[in-house]
Amino acid sequence: MSATTLHTEAGASDETRTTGKSAGRRFATLVVRLGAIAAFAAIMAYFVVFAPGFTSTFNLINVVEQSAILGVLAYGMTSVIIGGGSDVTEGGIDLSIAANMGLCAAVYATLLSMGYGDFLSVLAAIAVGMAVGALNALAVVGLGILPLLATLAVLNVAAGMELTLTQNTVVGASSPLLGFLVSGSFLGISALAWALIVFSAIIIAIIHGTAFGLRLYAVGGHPEAARAAGLSVPFYVSFTYVLSGFCAAVASVLTVSRLSASTPGSGELLLSVLAAALLGTVFSRRFVPTMGGTLLSVLFIGLLANGFQLLNVSSYWVNGVQGALILLVVAITSFARGSEGSR
Amino acid sequence: MTGSMKGLVKALALGLAAACSLAAISSASAEELSLKGKRIGVSAIGTDHYWDLMAFRGIQDRVKELGGEVIALDAGRKDQQQIAQLQTLIAQKPDAIIEQLGNLEVLNPWLQKIRDAGIPLFTVDTATPHAINNTTSNNYNIGAEIALQMVADMGGKGNVLVFNGFYSVPVCKIRYDQLKYVLTSFPDVKIVEPELRDVIPNTVQSAYSNVTDMLTKSPEKGSIGAVWACWDVPQIGATQAVEAAGRNEVKTYGIDGSPEVIKMVMDSKSSAGAVAAQQPYEIGKTSVDNAARYLAGQKVAPFTFVPAVLINKENAAEKGKPFLDAAEKAGVK
Repeated sequence: MSATTLHTEAGASDETRTTGKSAGRRFATLVVRLGAIAAFAAIMAYFVVFAPGFTSTFNLINVVEQSAILGVLAYGMTSVIIGGGSDVTEGGIDLSIAANMGLCAAVYATLLSMGYGDFLSVLAAIAVGMAVGALNALAVVGLGILPLLATLAVLNVAAGMELTLTQNTVVGASSPLLGFLVSGSFLGISALAWALIVFSAIIIAIIHGTAFGLRLYAVGGHPEAARAAGLSVPFYVSFTYVLSGFCAAVASVLTVSRLSASTPGSGELLLSVLAAALLGTVFSRRFVPTMGGTLLSVLFIGLLANGFQLLNVSSYWVNGVQGALILLVVAITSFARGSEGSR
Repeated sequence: MTGSMKGLVKALALGLAAACSLAAISSASAEELSLKGKRIGVSAIGTDHYWDLMAFRGIQDRVKELGGEVIALDAGRKDQQQIAQLQTLIAQKPDAIIEQLGNLEVLNPWLQKIRDAGIPLFTVDTATPHAINNTTSNNYNIGAEIALQMVADMGGKGNVLVFNGFYSVPVCKIRYDQLKYVLTSFPDVKIVEPELRDVIPNTVQSAYSNVTDMLTKSPEKGSIGAVWACWDVPQIGATQAVEAAGRNEVKTYGIDGSPEVIKMVMDSKSSAGAVAAQQPYEIGKTSVDNAARYLAGQKVAPFTFVPAVLINKENAAEKGKPFLDAAEKAGVK
């Protein structure tokens, strides 16, 4: 709440420059944004009415469980976009996040299979994840490389290291922690679903409930203003990449629990992660990424696949609809930013 | 009026008798199979290869033929997606689930959950203790036959490049083990170490560069006699590499029978030595028949083998054509 207020202030100087055009544009933007949300709501309403079993508690918990890994990754991506600014070409983006998760999963599963316990293996996975994040930070902040290119290079580094470690094979894993994540449950909600709920609560509290989160928005929204106000922009931006690496490591433990193994091909998740982070902006009034918006869009993506399957609509459609929605949201976002983009 | 009526009755009776005798000749149960009012869930890890696509289609076509409803799920080769689809599928409580390929280590706990939910599970080319029946080719046979063909073509001696990247895939393990077993009788045929590693995706490109590298490493003609892979997509890359290097003494061997490879074997100038062609569409259909039998209360064996055909340089023209026709009919090239 307070974060959005600050962002409004940070962006205010742009708007005064273009007041004349922006009133009409803002109204149009509002209409389009509400239209997009209405489209989301309509799809959900359709599922509620026509998809058999869609609203059953069992099914909804299943979807939360299925969304856990994507959710944790999307939070990492969202934090990078918040801190680096949401300009699609020059802003913050972490293309390495899914590959990083694959590498962490490989490290975790390999160490487990070598007989190291959960504690050491999880610690190692987190260390690797954050190290990859730090590498991103070094490339983006230290060397000043465009995030799009820097993280693309790191993607290849992480994917290459995963292949070297696993030789492109499946590494089976089992441990008490994994067993708990797979079969544990509390209040009728499975451990994996709880993992998403707890992680969401923590990250939303940090980003939207603390002064730190507020400053992060300031850094991403208007780096010059943030610097003038005495904030260390490089520190905040670096922090987001390391946080993103941490999220990748947490997601890797969840993914190994769900697949009982580390498997090649984690990189495939990248598009869904990007989709979730981008779609999430539509839930904010100023089209800024928010953790809550990301959570909603992650659940939406999960419900979309679920609803289509329950309706017995070919799974091939899911990709199409997802792609169309991304296009719609990105189009709205660029439209809304039209005035800012011209500067 | 009565005349035509009589004729009609007579024709009907004759037709009925003919139908009965036909039914008696063919397998008695085939005519009784029905999936009317049944919902069958089908989960495949991916359909990007000819084999996978044909089996997946065979399953769906047969379920519809028998009057059932299909819930068809293609995971696009993403483990996460397949698990999510299976989880939702269990909640949908279909009358049976047919699972096609995928990663056993990943799948087994979920296949167990399918059984725990009381849903009969059938598999295509996936050996797991949780399935009531696994329908597949006789991979023991295939593995031995293709290995023997290779040894024969090599004249019982020489070096073989072997792709062994998928030993964790059960059918590849069987075929590879059979190759090794056959080679115990032919000590002069040696596998070049280290073995090559086939990959997904970019299988063809990767096999091409692997084989090119190995041929460069052993430049003398005759130093390499053959290339073996447990499926035929690496065989495509290997064959192209051998031909590009002008090393026509090297022949390639693989298993599955993709139309592209069958055409290569049929081409007398091509270095593709032989391919064991499976019948994925038939395999898919047969697994549905097994499910229908089980749901009708009949006994079903734990596995069903659908015959495969060894296509080599000598028989390619005759044996290869039916496979190409089937592929063309299905609109796959």
